[in-house]
Amino acid sequence: VYQVFESVAKKYDVMNDSMTLGIHRVWKDILIHKMNPSPGTLLLDVAGGTGDIAFRFINYVRSVRERQLQRKLKHHQNLSWQEIFESYQKDRLNLLGDSQVVVCDINREMLKVGKQKAQHLGYSEGLSWVLGNAEELPFDDDKFDVYTIAFGIRNVTRIDLALQEAYRVLKPGGRFLCLEFSHVSNPVLSRLYDLYSFQVIPVLGEVIAGDWKSYQYLVESIRRFPPQEELKEMIEDAGFFKVDYENLNFGIVAIHSGFKL
Amino acid sequence: LRCQHYPPLRALQASAALSRVSDEHKKEPLTSPSQQQFDSHPDGHQPKQEPQGPRPSYTGQGGQESEDYESEEQLQHRILTAALEFVPEHGWTAEAIAEGAKTLGLSVAAAGLFHSDGSELILHFVSECNTKLSELLEQEQKLVQLGEAEKKPTDEFLRNAVEARLRMLIPYIEKWPQALSILLLPRNIPSSLSLLTSMIDDIWHYAGDQSTDFNWYTRRAVLTGIYNTTELVMLQDSSPDFEDTWRFLENRVADAMTMSNTASQVQSTGEAVVQGLMGAAVTVSN
Repeated sequence: VYQVFESVAKKYDVMNDSMTLGIHRVWKDILIHKMNPSPGTLLLDVAGGTGDIAFRFINYVRSVRERQLQRKLKHHQNLSWQEIFESYQKDRLNLLGDSQVVVCDINREMLKVGKQKAQHLGYSEGLSWVLGNAEELPFDDDKFDVYTIAFGIRNVTRIDLALQEAYRVLKPGGRFLCLEFSHVSNPVLSRLYDLYSFQVIPVLGEVIAGDWKSYQYLVESIRRFPPQEELKEMIEDAGFFKVDYENLNFGIVAIHSGFKL
Repeated sequence: LRCQHYPPLRALQASAALSRVSDEHKKEPLTSPSQQQFDSHPDGHQPKQEPQGPRPSYTGQGGQESEDYESEEQLQHRILTAALEFVPEHGWTAEAIAEGAKTLGLSVAAAGLFHSDGSELILHFVSECNTKLSELLEQEQKLVQLGEAEKKPTDEFLRNAVEARLRMLIPYIEKWPQALSILLLPRNIPSSLSLLTSMIDDIWHYAGDQSTDFNWYTRRAVLTGIYNTTELVMLQDSSPDFEDTWRFLENRVADAMTMSNTASQVQSTGEAVVQGLMGAAVTVSN
């Protein structure tokens, strides 16, 4: 698995766009919307190498924070200028409202690409990049508000261990969110999807990234991955409550959510 | 310590933490082992404190699954109740719920348990207010039964009941219009309507009015109308202690009472008219 990602790191984003015809951006947006993070949230994004989820999270939190500040300003109609100035100073330096995201990935190359992207896009605050294994996270217990793993969990050898680790590092009340390819139950769509996956994707892989085998592996790993209900049970086994899933695009992708209560 | 060896014994960590917080009135780090016993656990289960681990285990095995489920709902209730404190500042939103969760020692992500538009928070509040009203009316009724208070005439009773219920809105009055609009969303209408009708039914039940001037449906409709219009008036009222609203309420209730009298008058007049006509018909036929 490591070598697959070493070779695809640089072309990862381009391949994502071409494979999913750009829809993956929408999927990731939906994930963040479902999370609905408030400022002050501490997010752990596992297997989030190139930072897609992290950047979206920061954008979302920033806009929520802006709205919050605007509302505060409206309430300030009766304060003196001095008071307004002081609170403005305090808030201005806190545009993210203390929100932070830690991007954790097992692959150094992916993290490198992510860091470069962050610099390029101008994300400086609230980001950390940590090398780590989803089955054995280098973090203390009860640390994070939200744990996300987008298109990463199918690459983990022992999913149950990753889920247990997720449970461990989340604070009580914390949320587990998993965005992953899943099972299409509609038979017609399923045929088309299979056709697309096995015929088109490896070809794209060869053409764009010069790597047929990695994308062949990708498609096969998607097929091998447990379907929605099974994954839901695995998440419940790890100790999460209120576990639920939401199918996107008829089950091509699903978002699973659980809470540590 | 991992409790993975005991999957059937897993407890709600958070509810244990919550009771710790509420019992001791201070935040304790969750990984520190505690030696306290808590006897009156609000959820009704008795976790045994283990000195080495923060996770209590159930002493009772019976109804394990149902206890967990019950605790989840109760936890949600607690979060919503805690969130009410933040409504004046944040409105009926997920943010208020997040702040509420924080005060209970939970992560802000727990707000994700609920819908992002705050519907559940509002419905929870309405249902709590209705419960409070019922309790109030129940107590009043007991006093009357014990002879310690006089039974109020219907119009005064209705006035007091509606006023008491509407007064519960006062701390949240600024954000109440927002709440009303959310309650009117198609998705929420079944719940909000049923809460409203059960509250109105409750008031009539305690009013104990045996008069046959109104039938049951009219009574419900009339009081619902009074309640809703008074609520709207209250939202626009800027008089001290809402005295304009209570005067409006008084007038509406008085109207309703007169209407009932008029109705019965109309009925008896109608009967008289019919009898007169019958008499006239008989006379004419003779």
